[in-house]
Amino acid sequence: MSMQETTQKSALLKRNKKFALLAPGVIWMMLFLVVPLCMMIYVSFWTQTTFSISSDLTLKSWKTFFASETYFGALIRTIRLWLIVLFLTFIIGYPAALFIGQFVRNKTTQTVLLVACVIPFWTSFLIRVLAWRPMLGKEGAINIVLQKFGLIDAPIEVLLFTELSVVIGMVQIYVVFMVGPIAFMLARIDQSLIEAARDLGASSWTIFRKIIFPLSLPGVVVGAIFVSVMVLGEFATASALSGRKVNLLGNIIVTQVGSLKWAFAAVIGVVLTAVMAVVITLLLRVVDLRKEL
Amino acid sequence: MMELEGLTKFYGETCALRGVSLTIEDDEYLTLLGPSGSGKSTLLRLIAGLEQPDSGSIRLNGEDIASLPPHRRGLGIVQQNYALFPHMTVFENVAFGLRWREENPVTEEAEITKRVDAMLDLVGLSGFENRGVGQISGGQKQRVSLARTLVTEPRVCLLDEPLGALDANLRERMTLELRRIRDTLGVTFMHVTGNEHEALGMGDRMIVLDGGAAVMIAPPEQVFDRPQTVRVAQVLNAYNILQGRVHEGRFDHAGSMLPLPPNSEGAMHYAIRFDAATIVPPDDPTALIRATFITSEFTGGGVTYFLRGPDGVFEVERHLSRADPQVYKGGQELGISWAATDALAFDSDGELIVSSNMRGAA
Repeated sequence: MSMQETTQKSALLKRNKKFALLAPGVIWMMLFLVVPLCMMIYVSFWTQTTFSISSDLTLKSWKTFFASETYFGALIRTIRLWLIVLFLTFIIGYPAALFIGQFVRNKTTQTVLLVACVIPFWTSFLIRVLAWRPMLGKEGAINIVLQKFGLIDAPIEVLLFTELSVVIGMVQIYVVFMVGPIAFMLARIDQSLIEAARDLGASSWTIFRKIIFPLSLPGVVVGAIFVSVMVLGEFATASALSGRKVNLLGNIIVTQVGSLKWAFAAVIGVVLTAVMAVVITLLLRVVDLRKEL
Repeated sequence: MMELEGLTKFYGETCALRGVSLTIEDDEYLTLLGPSGSGKSTLLRLIAGLEQPDSGSIRLNGEDIASLPPHRRGLGIVQQNYALFPHMTVFENVAFGLRWREENPVTEEAEITKRVDAMLDLVGLSGFENRGVGQISGGQKQRVSLARTLVTEPRVCLLDEPLGALDANLRERMTLELRRIRDTLGVTFMHVTGNEHEALGMGDRMIVLDGGAAVMIAPPEQVFDRPQTVRVAQVLNAYNILQGRVHEGRFDHAGSMLPLPPNSEGAMHYAIRFDAATIVPPDDPTALIRATFITSEFTGGGVTYFLRGPDGVFEVERHLSRADPQVYKGGQELGISWAATDALAFDSDGELIVSSNMRGAA
C-alpha cells in the first residue's frame, strides 16, 4: 500500500467519524426492529398445522386470510373504525386546539390547559377503558340519567358492546393526541400575520381558511399520524367495550397468538404493518413536514 | 385628510398615549420620531385599528373611523417584522388583499395579475413572483410587505419602523426607494422610526413623540434648528444640553459663564449643537468651557469628539470637508467655544425661549 493510499484512507475515516454516533441506535433498531420485522414476514410463509409449525414455505396462511370473511372483514372493519375515529378526533380536537393555541394568549394558561388534556392518562389504560362500562351500560349512568328525566322510556342498548361504544372509547382516549400537535402549531403562528391579514381586509373566516388552517396543517398531520398508528394497532378498547363482538386486526393477532397460530398471526402482522405504512405515507403527502417544522 | 384628536391609551396603569392631536394631509410623507417607549407603535396601532383608544377620535375625510374594524378604514399598515404569509409565494402574498378582502374583492384573475405585477415592478421585484418568502432577503421581504399593502390602494400607508431590520447599506437604498414609491403613487406615508436621521431625512413633516405626547410637529429643518422643547433637542441626538441658571446676564453652568441669546432671562437649560462647537486650546480666549478629551469616533465624512465637560459628556462634530482631523490624547485638557447666536435657551418648563434675532427665526 502506498503512502498516499494510507493517508487517503485515514482521511476518509476522519471525515466519517461522525457516523459513529449513529452506531448504538442503528444496532438497537437492527436487532429489535428490522430483524424481527423480516422474521415476521418470513414466518408468515411457514406451514402451520394445528399443534405445530414448520419452516416449509407455503402461501396457505395468506390465502386463508384473504378468503375468510372473518379475517378480511376484520381488515375492512379496522379501516372503517380508524377512519371514523380519525374524523371524530379531528372534529372534536381542532376547535379545542384552536381555542388553546389562538385564543389563550397567556403561555402559562396554554400549558395548564394542555396538561389538563392529559389528566385522563394519569390512570391506567385498562381502567380508562373499563370505566366506560358503568357509564354506557344498560343500567349505566347515561341510561339512568336519561330515564330519570323521562327523555327515554327504555334504556338505549346500543350504547355498550357495539361498534359505537368502541368508537366512543377510542375517541375519548386518543383525541388528546390530536389536540397537542395542532395546539402547538397554532400557538406558533405569529399574531402579526393575523393582524396583517385583517388589515388587508380579510374576514375572520377567510383568515382561518387561508392563513390559520394552512399553517396548522403540519400539526394536523402529526396528530393524525399519532391517532392512526394507535387506532390501527388497537385491541384492548375493542375487546373491553364490544363484548368481543367487534374484532379488529389487533384482536385477531391476540387470539391467534393465544392459540399458538404463529404463521397466521404473522400474516396479520404484515398486513397491519403494510396498512400503517400506506396510511403514514399518504398523510405525509399532505404536508411537507421537513419544510414546515 | 386624517385628523386625530385627543387620542389617549392606557395599558393597565401606564399611560401609553396622552391626548395626541394632529392632522395628516393628503399626499405627504410624515415621519414620527420617538425614543423606544414613547408610544409611537401604540399611536400607529390605534390609527390602524389594531387597538382601541380609551378616548379621542380619528376622522378620515370628516368621517369618524375610530369604531371601524381595521379593514374598513382604508388604511394599510406595514409591520416591523414584515408579517409575510410563510406558506405563500411572493405573488400570492401581494395578491392576498385584492383576492380575499371582504369588500369588493377582485375576482378576475387577469386583473389581479396585472395589478400585482405592476406593484412588484414598482418595488423592483419583477421576476420574484414565484419565490417562496423564505427564499428572499430581508430587503426584499420589506418590499413584498410594502407592495402587499400598497396594492390595495390605502388612503394612508402606515409604516412601523420599516427600515429597522435592514443593514445600513440597504437602509440607505430603501430610504430613496420609499420616497420614490410614495411620489409615484401619491399616497400619504406615515413612517414611524426611532432613528433621527431617517425622520429628518425622509419626512415632509415630522412629529416628535415623547412620553406619549406629541411634543413637536413641524418640517424637519425647523425641528432640527429650533427644537420646541429641551426633550425634542434630546431626542434629536444632535445637541449638547447643559443645565444651570442665569446669573448677571450669563448662563451659569457649573461655574462656567456662558453667553446667552438675547431675552433669555429665565433660562434653565442651554443647548448647543454638536457641529456648532469647536475645540480650542484650553487657554484660548474664546474657550467657554474647559473639558478633558475622552475619545473620538471617525464617521467617514467627519469626526465626533467626546469630551468630559464640567457636568457630563460633551460632543463636538468636525466635518472633514472644512478641516483636517485633529488628534488629541486621552485625558488632554481642552477648551470648547461656540458663537452665542448658535446657542438655544429653554425655560424652566423646558420650552424654547424664542428671541428676536435668533438664526432662522421668521
